[in-house]
Amino acid sequence: MSDILFNVGYGHFLVLAAVLFLIGVGGVIVRRNALIILMSVELMLNAANMTLLTFGRMWGDLSSHSFALIVIAVAAAEASVGLAIVVAVFRGRRNVDVDRLTTLRH
Amino acid sequence: MRLLILIMLAFGVATASTAAADPIPAQVVNVRPAANVVKRWPHSDRVESKDKGMALLFWMFALASVGGAVFVVTRRNLIAAVMGMVGSFLGIAAIYMMLYAHFLSVVQMLVYAGAIMVLFVFVIMILNRPEDEPVAPSGRAGQVLGGAAILYLVGRLVMLLIYVRAPNPATAVAAPGPTPEGHDWGSVKAVGTDLFGPDAFPFEAISILLLVAVVGAIAIARPLHEDKTIDDEGNPVPDPVTGAH
Repeated sequence: MSDILFNVGYGHFLVLAAVLFLIGVGGVIVRRNALIILMSVELMLNAANMTLLTFGRMWGDLSSHSFALIVIAVAAAEASVGLAIVVAVFRGRRNVDVDRLTTLRH
Repeated sequence: MRLLILIMLAFGVATASTAAADPIPAQVVNVRPAANVVKRWPHSDRVESKDKGMALLFWMFALASVGGAVFVVTRRNLIAAVMGMVGSFLGIAAIYMMLYAHFLSVVQMLVYAGAIMVLFVFVIMILNRPEDEPVAPSGRAGQVLGGAAILYLVGRLVMLLIYVRAPNPATAVAAPGPTPEGHDWGSVKAVGTDLFGPDAFPFEAISILLLVAVVGAIAIARPLHEDKTIDDEGNPVPDPVTGAH
C-alpha cells in the first residue's frame, strides 16, 4: 500500500489521465447543457494530452510535446467555434439544452 | 443517479490504482533476481526519485484536477463549473511539470486557465440562464439507458486497467534522467527545435486552422439582423454611416 502511495511511477499518471477522461465522458453523457458538454470535451482532450506526455517521457520521445501542443491548439479552435455555435443557437431559441435541439431530427 | 455515478467512479479509481501499481513490483521480483535489477536499472521507471515530497505533491495535484473535474460535471451553477474547470486545468499543468514538460505546462496555464476560461465566462454571462434540470436523460428509459452506458464504459476501462502490465525491464527504454543533455528535456529550446524542424508542417497547419476557426467563429456568432433597413414598426432605419433614409 505504501508502495502505491510513495513510489509515483508512470502508471499513476496514466491512471489519473484515465480517470479524468472518464469524468469527461460522464459529463458528456449525463449533462444536458451544451456549455458543460464543451467543458467536458476539454477535460477529455486534457486527459489525452497527459497520456501522450507520459508515454513520451516513458520512451524518451520529445515529439510527443509537439503533438500535445497541437492538441492544445486544436482544443482552442474547437472551444471558440463551439462557443460561437452555442451563442448562435441561444440567439435563435433562448436555450442551449441539447435535449431540446431536435430540429434536425427527421 | 448522480450518486450512483460517483460511487462507480470511486470504485473505478480504487480498482484502477491497485491494478496499475500492483504488477510493477511483482514482475520485478519474479522476472529478475534482485541484484540484477539494481545493476540494470540505474534509473527505474519512476518519474522522479523516491522522495516523499514529490509523491505528496503528485497526490495533491491529482486531487485538485480530479476534484475540479467532478465539480465541472456535478455543479448546476455554470460559473462554479467554470471555476472547477480552472482548478482542474491548473492541477493538470502542475502534473505536466512533473512529467518534465515545462514549456507545455506554461502553455497549458496560458491557454486553458487564461484564454479558454475567459471565453467560457463571457459566453455564460451572455447566456445568463440557469439550467432547469442538470441531469440529461429524461424518463425512466433514458435513465436506464444512460446508466447502462456509463456502467459499460466504466467496466471496460476497469477491465482494461486490470490487465495493464509493467513494461518488461529487459526491453524497457529508461527515461532520460538528469544528464547534461537530459536537463534540456521538455524546455522551450528542445520543443522549439522539434517544432521548427521535423514537425514544421503540423505547426504551420495549426496557424491555418486557427485562422479558419477565428473567421468561422465570427461568421457563426455574428448577429443575423445587421442589414435591416426597416425597424419593427415598419419605419425606415437611418443608415448608420451616412444617416440618410
